Amino acid sequence: MEMVIVAPPAPGRLEDLRRRFFATPLQALLSLASLAIMVFLAWNLLNWAIFSAVFTTSGGPEACQAAAGACWSVIAARWRIILFGLYPFEEQWRSALACVTVVVMTVLSCIPAFWTGRRIALVWGAGAVLYYVLMKGGVLGLTYVGEEAWGGLALTLFIFVTSCLIGFPLAICLALMRRSELPWISRTTGIIIDGVRSLPLISILFTFAIVLPFALPQWLAGDKLYRVILGSALFFSAYQAEIVRGGMQGVPNGQAEAAMALGMSYWQRISRILLPQAMRNALPATINQFVISFKETSLVVIVGFFEILASGNAAYGTGEWRFAYIEVYAFIAFIYFVFVFSLSRYGAFLERRMSVGER
Amino acid sequence: MVSLLRNQKARNVLLQVLYVGSLAALVLAGVMIARRNLAEQGITSGFDFLYKSTGWDVNFSLLPATANDPYWWFFLIGIINTLFLGSVGLILATVVGTIVGLARTSSNELARLLGRTYVDIFRNIPLILQVFFWYAIITHLPTPRAAHEAWGMLLTSRGLYVPAPNVGGVAMALAILTVIAAVVLPVWLGRTSRLSQPIGKRLAIQLAGMAAALACAVLVLLVARLPDAPLLDFPALQGLNLKGGLRIPPEFSALAIAIAIYGGSYIAEIVRGGFKAIGKGQVEAALSMGLSPWRVFTLVKLPLALRAMLPILANQYVWLIKATTMGIAVGFTDFFMVVALTINHSGQTLEAIGILMAGFLTINLSLAAVFNRINKAIALKGNQLRG
Amino acid sequence: MISGNATESGGPAVRIENLDKYYGSFHALRKVNLSVERGERIVICGPSGSGKSTMIRCINRLEQHNGGRITVLGTELNDDVGNIDEIRREVGMVFQHFNLFPHMTVLENCMIAPMIVRKRPRTEAEATARRYLEKVRIPEQAMKFPGQLSGGQQQRVAIARALCMQPQIMLFDEPTSALDPEMIAEVLDVMVTLASEGMTMICVTHEMGFARRVADRVIFMDGGEIVEEAPPEEFFTSCRNERTRQFLSQVLGH
Repeated sequence: MEMVIVAPPAPGRLEDLRRRFFATPLQALLSLASLAIMVFLAWNLLNWAIFSAVFTTSGGPEACQAAAGACWSVIAARWRIILFGLYPFEEQWRSALACVTVVVMTVLSCIPAFWTGRRIALVWGAGAVLYYVLMKGGVLGLTYVGEEAWGGLALTLFIFVTSCLIGFPLAICLALMRRSELPWISRTTGIIIDGVRSLPLISILFTFAIVLPFALPQWLAGDKLYRVILGSALFFSAYQAEIVRGGMQGVPNGQAEAAMALGMSYWQRISRILLPQAMRNALPATINQFVISFKETSLVVIVGFFEILASGNAAYGTGEWRFAYIEVYAFIAFIYFVFVFSLSRYGAFLERRMSVGER
Repeated sequence: MVSLLRNQKARNVLLQVLYVGSLAALVLAGVMIARRNLAEQGITSGFDFLYKSTGWDVNFSLLPATANDPYWWFFLIGIINTLFLGSVGLILATVVGTIVGLARTSSNELARLLGRTYVDIFRNIPLILQVFFWYAIITHLPTPRAAHEAWGMLLTSRGLYVPAPNVGGVAMALAILTVIAAVVLPVWLGRTSRLSQPIGKRLAIQLAGMAAALACAVLVLLVARLPDAPLLDFPALQGLNLKGGLRIPPEFSALAIAIAIYGGSYIAEIVRGGFKAIGKGQVEAALSMGLSPWRVFTLVKLPLALRAMLPILANQYVWLIKATTMGIAVGFTDFFMVVALTINHSGQTLEAIGILMAGFLTINLSLAAVFNRINKAIALKGNQLRG
Repeated sequence: MISGNATESGGPAVRIENLDKYYGSFHALRKVNLSVERGERIVICGPSGSGKSTMIRCINRLEQHNGGRITVLGTELNDDVGNIDEIRREVGMVFQHFNLFPHMTVLENCMIAPMIVRKRPRTEAEATARRYLEKVRIPEQAMKFPGQLSGGQQQRVAIARALCMQPQIMLFDEPTSALDPEMIAEVLDVMVTLASEGMTMICVTHEMGFARRVADRVIFMDGGEIVEEAPPEEFFTSCRNERTRQFLSQVLGH
């Protein structure tokens, strides 16, 4: 709680500091303790990560292990594995380009000019196709690279993007069905949504990867990668459906009535009146859901994919870099952090902007 | 036919029948195909396998377990492991989250900055990466021979060894229950007499209750102590191995630490949100009545913030319980891993998946029920605080 | 069952026979009978909860009736989906809370239905929209969003939006109840103009001045029934029913 103090004209800088951090003995203690923790952590971290760290591969692992600080040489030596997995070495520029495609796509969809159903679908559809062509090849003079060779960051991004691409429309359908006036449709959909939400993602991934082939005819089983994507899309859609439904509940009844009175059909009402408004209401929560599911994409490592975490394990796990696990995890954590942090900051910014706009 | 399709009621019936029917057909077809496929591999469906012995072992169990034990016993072990890891993780995460959350709402700028940095870092790194990280750290600790020692505990690559009381399992459980009672009872007692009694007297009642319960716990331990052994058994190096004490395996500690840190960052935000939701007017009113800042905190801010937090906290807890399934990544035998192992070894795929779903549904529903009751019990009557 | 042509001439605009409506066990409308001729202007008044809104919402099926018959422009309202669509196209409605689409500009609000329901080309829809916005005297607001307008302006846009579908019947559901007093007049003016052009209008309103000026018939409802039905001069001077008299003394005020 802020105390209202009648400020004397132009307080000195020292006075200002004193008031902000040393107003009472307790405050002073708190400030000093926090400062001590911060300085301690910052110094140790900087010392480890920069001052005493080894950055070049010239000395080899031995020189690196001897150093007191971080051994970033492992990243210099193994970054290609972490980012691209087992993708053929000469073709890795394609994998890199595919990652850039996904980043561009994400940035584009953060621009309000693209926030119409058609444009966003176009951006994501085109992005996914471009990514697929780049990675798989076999056309336009690109050599063919099968899915089993995809890996690292590129695979993580692929799974994330396709899950969302499938999961988002599915989420809208589920939300609409759960809100349906027909009791059997809304009830059954409710059971599906709640059932999926009550299960851990890992168990769903596991079911789709390993159990589903038993329950499908041979010709339908498809590649494990696509089954897992389907499972993760289903999981995403169950959560997103509830967010969309929340957005729909925020649209007053009168909107649908007005649309009905104008003679619009069910689909016209949904697509022109209800959804645009509901999606706007649901936007902050939606971005939050994207953030969460991006983080959860990392779970596919458990069903045996060579995505960024697994490739990171491989990068330090074999041969002479065995000791450099902290550096590898820090590198991967940093990559995740950059993606997730910027996205969640953007979400927070949107939320603020919208709450200001409302009033 | 055409007119029937134009009829609203007929259309509604048709749509519902089509939807439910096709879903049911899909599930039925899946189950039929799966049963046929499994039968071809010589696996008969049914739950008889639950009584067969597993032939494999688990690496962590609170109950006695051998490879001769039947499947149902292993499922039980899995559920108990999940719940145990879950509750340890929840408690630690709540402690971390409360501290960080209070730092984030503190009036001190530096403390706020510290809290915010914590949340920003740990919230934005996937949990499983954090699990891997801690697991790598722990398994790269020195071997038992060169173990770090601190306060009678040993840190080694094979796990954390802590001193353990020399008592039987039943007595231990009893003692733990008493300690829990020691924490819960005074709160319960204090609840009924809120403001009608002076604070000193209430505190005295609560302290007395707590002391009595703790004494009971110690008494239980003393009485149940194994004959001819000191009360506390300290781990010590014997030859190449460590003997004595309680070993907390690296899988468990890595998961517990990761859940505590990651979950803590989320709970911190919930705590902050709870305090943010308190109306300025309430605090000003309390201050203007001359209440001390501490009493404003305990009597006004905390009760209101708790009510705002609880529903969101419930969701977070459910999420954290589900997160224990990440145990399989480092080889902790939680419920999900038992199911996965069962499918691998026995091939009883459909049954195991069914048990998995039923298990998590039960855990979720019972947690939800508990929180709903708490929510209802503490909900403010009317809605005078809204808007 | 193939429906008749909704635009056929002859017969009343709306015919309501023995209309029953329940909300659960609450009997909202009790065997209501009403017939509205083409070009006729009806004002319906009554205390809140009397069923007047429910009745006109039944006319374009925003509420589903439980008994009796409603025939609009010669087409019966029943479970036939095609009939419902056809009737809604010909019946415009203005709501108490305007219900403009907040994510569209005023112009888009007026264009959307003609374009996607009547399949008019964009240029034609825009011309029509601008003409009606002119008519409700706010052409200059066309590019604004509803949230930027005053209540009275929003309600006039809502009227224009309904008119853009070129309906044969207009329903008004307490169009001025949510407005500040100084804005009521501007909306009533538009409605008076509309009435003078021969539109079939059914208005639920408590604006008795408006009723006196334009109504052909004033209807008083209470407890789900039509209690009194008379031309305005007769309605205001010599009503027969006690409840009507009581209501009038409350509305016309002191």
